[in-house]
Amino acid sequence: MSAFLSSKLSTVGRSLIRSFGNDLSGAKVPYEMMTKLSNQYLFLQQQRTFIQMRTRLKVVDNSGAKRVMCIQALKGRRGARLGDTIIASVKEAQPHGKVKKGDVVYGVVVRAAMQRSRCDGSEIKFDDNAVVLVNKQGEPIGTRIYGPVPHELRKKKHVKILTLAEHIA
Amino acid sequence: MRLEKCWFCSSTIYPGHGIQFVRNDAKIFRFCRSKCHKNFKMKRNPRKVKWTKAYRRLHGKDMTQDSTFEFERKRNRPERYDRNVTEMTLKAIKKIDKIRVTREVQHHKTRMKGKKAVEQEAAIKELENSINLVKAPAALQQGSEITLPKIKVKVSQSQAVGERMEE
Repeated sequence: MSAFLSSKLSTVGRSLIRSFGNDLSGAKVPYEMMTKLSNQYLFLQQQRTFIQMRTRLKVVDNSGAKRVMCIQALKGRRGARLGDTIIASVKEAQPHGKVKKGDVVYGVVVRAAMQRSRCDGSEIKFDDNAVVLVNKQGEPIGTRIYGPVPHELRKKKHVKILTLAEHIA
Repeated sequence: MRLEKCWFCSSTIYPGHGIQFVRNDAKIFRFCRSKCHKNFKMKRNPRKVKWTKAYRRLHGKDMTQDSTFEFERKRNRPERYDRNVTEMTLKAIKKIDKIRVTREVQHHKTRMKGKKAVEQEAAIKELENSINLVKAPAALQQGSEITLPKIKVKVSQSQAVGERMEE
């Protein structure tokens, strides 16, 4: 996102500079102001999207993995959402854990920043994108789960995750 | 079914409405509509935004302490269904609501007490201070009337009717 921002802003800045002639000192002040303003704006208006290929997710169990990258969403054409299962590759792992860096694992998305509508039509969203690693049968690899998880997992037959969870939202 | 309160404006959220945001420490923020959600994302303080209940309560605009508010409470234990109790409750709701409304009207009345006098005073003061805008100082010295004499303007009846038709 930041790369996109800088590239877009640099073109704006360049056009500004051109309009001012070669007066760099004059162009610098509005340029800086603009970056600040649009940065704030983008922070507020950031678009939340599906969990798709190359999405990095936090692992919130004690399986040993810290961060994984989604390589395949098992459901949905556009990607996975809250409660869906994904295939991921472990990018960061603790030493002597159950999974190692580079492993291909299955995971259930237990928190997603993109909102998902509940059965009654209201919506729910979380702070971050987080995943719990499971085996192919859908049983969690770790024995503890950190942070809140949605109760929709019951519908997806992940009762084990719900029983391990600290908070159910 | 539970009727929750909006975190931002403290209005009631009916089932199927709004969005809820769960922070990583499992605190749940419920919002009744996107307006409240957006205001939350902008990190606004509901105590400083004038249209919220929090602001109105804080600044004494609304009635805050009243025995009618004590019926509406969050109960964590589900009540066992009893037909009689339900019937009585439904009857009581209407009555309590009526009492609350009358008390709110009374509260508004007492809050607005003396406002008219203040407004009148301000108007008189303004007239005294800026009479020179409508009446020249020299003219004011000749006739010390602070108000302007009424001028009668004749308006033909037919024209007025015609204008209304155009509208």
